[in-house]
Amino acid sequence: MNTLVIPRRMRRAFPALLRLLIGLCPTLLCGIAGTPQCHAQADTPEESSAGYAPVISGAFAYIQNSNGGVQSLEPQINPVLLVPMGRSLLLDAHVDFTGFFARENSTSGPYKGQVFKTIEDAQLDWLADSHMIVVGGRYILPFGVYHERMTPVWISDLQDSPLTSGIGTNPDGFGDGGMLRGVAASLNSANIQYSAYYSAHYSVNQLAAARLVGGDTSIFIPSDRLEMGLSYQRSLEGYQLNNEAAYLSWQPHQVGLDFKAEYDRNHYGDGYWIQAAYSPQQFFFAPEFFRHLQLVGRGEQFFVRNGGGDGLPRVNEERPEVGLNYLIHDDWKLISSYGRLYSKNGDINMWNFGFTYRFVWPLWPGRKS
Amino acid sequence: MNTQTGNKWLLALVAAGACLAATLSVAAGQVPPAADKPSQQKSAVSTATEGEKVFMTNCARCHTPPMTLNPRVTGTVVMHMRVRARLSRKDEQLLLKYLAP
Repeated sequence: MNTLVIPRRMRRAFPALLRLLIGLCPTLLCGIAGTPQCHAQADTPEESSAGYAPVISGAFAYIQNSNGGVQSLEPQINPVLLVPMGRSLLLDAHVDFTGFFARENSTSGPYKGQVFKTIEDAQLDWLADSHMIVVGGRYILPFGVYHERMTPVWISDLQDSPLTSGIGTNPDGFGDGGMLRGVAASLNSANIQYSAYYSAHYSVNQLAAARLVGGDTSIFIPSDRLEMGLSYQRSLEGYQLNNEAAYLSWQPHQVGLDFKAEYDRNHYGDGYWIQAAYSPQQFFFAPEFFRHLQLVGRGEQFFVRNGGGDGLPRVNEERPEVGLNYLIHDDWKLISSYGRLYSKNGDINMWNFGFTYRFVWPLWPGRKS
Repeated sequence: MNTQTGNKWLLALVAAGACLAATLSVAAGQVPPAADKPSQQKSAVSTATEGEKVFMTNCARCHTPPMTLNPRVTGTVVMHMRVRARLSRKDEQLLLKYLAP
């Protein structure tokens, strides 16, 4: 009689895969429950005049920062190449060029440094179904609300990454493999979105990734503009650690407020951040000017577990941070922020000043309506 | 790693998810069907409004609305946004009608 022999590596992966499947069960159930409505809504035969020319988009940025008195200059270019192939396939590649120039003697002398170039992601997206997108290649790990959505320099309201940003992003925040993502149920009352992925170990320079599985699911309530989500990730190499995150995003109606919060944890530590960004929509004086102004505040704490490290602080830290941004045009943004890091290793001030510019250009003339 | 604590946390998540699924399944049955539009004109206006709603509730969660977007690239950008924001095909179509009517 033949016996099914499961390789040792697979046996190790099974508990993690099982957990992932169990975690995604509610999402799948909701998907099944919402299927008739979803299919009925998916039929939209009307055509628009939109063109599908290849695009080069992204951002330029120049940021001058001071961390504990050490000044540095960081010019950045983050181009994103988008090449559609028909209406269902999209090639999406993102490269990052960031310069880091600091004074020779920390606080004095000429600026010296170099430009780092990294391949952020290079993926092929197949828009397979109304509710499913298949992604293959190198992709951003969908973990928490910060890592996947708020890292682009032109989107960030504060340029400093949260103290917990090392959780769920090992080694570089990208996975090499495949991912399924989409909206499981799109109802009038709520949208349920999901991502499930597998990444292989890859150690080639610029494309490094760890072997891991993970998933993310969130429920979004359009009437309240409220989103709550959970992320889970398990490393399948080394100590096979879990990374977990819970997040919330809320944009109340009639108020120019954007509230976001996230809690992350793994073997080496846990922590949270809470951020609110406010743009006065109807200021009594010069309303047009103040509508483009943005006040940002963020509070965060990180607590060390098992000695910390692995991309995380090794001592408990906390940091309040405030920012003032101004949107000159929808493409140009002036940014400034101040934060103070409280740590056993010494408290330091952190300043950022600069600007960002986002662009979307056709690579060559495409179809006109 | 404290595996037991992790398992408890995971079980709590699954339980919460299951409750959520049950609630939504009930809610799904209670959602009234969309009202039939009497004319094509009303339908077009409704589509544009729905597209704006899709933009404001999904895209605006992360970034400000673009003031200008070249019509030649709108389709490509919306495809990309569908992937990044995990939108349904219907939302993609509504966005296209809103951004490039």
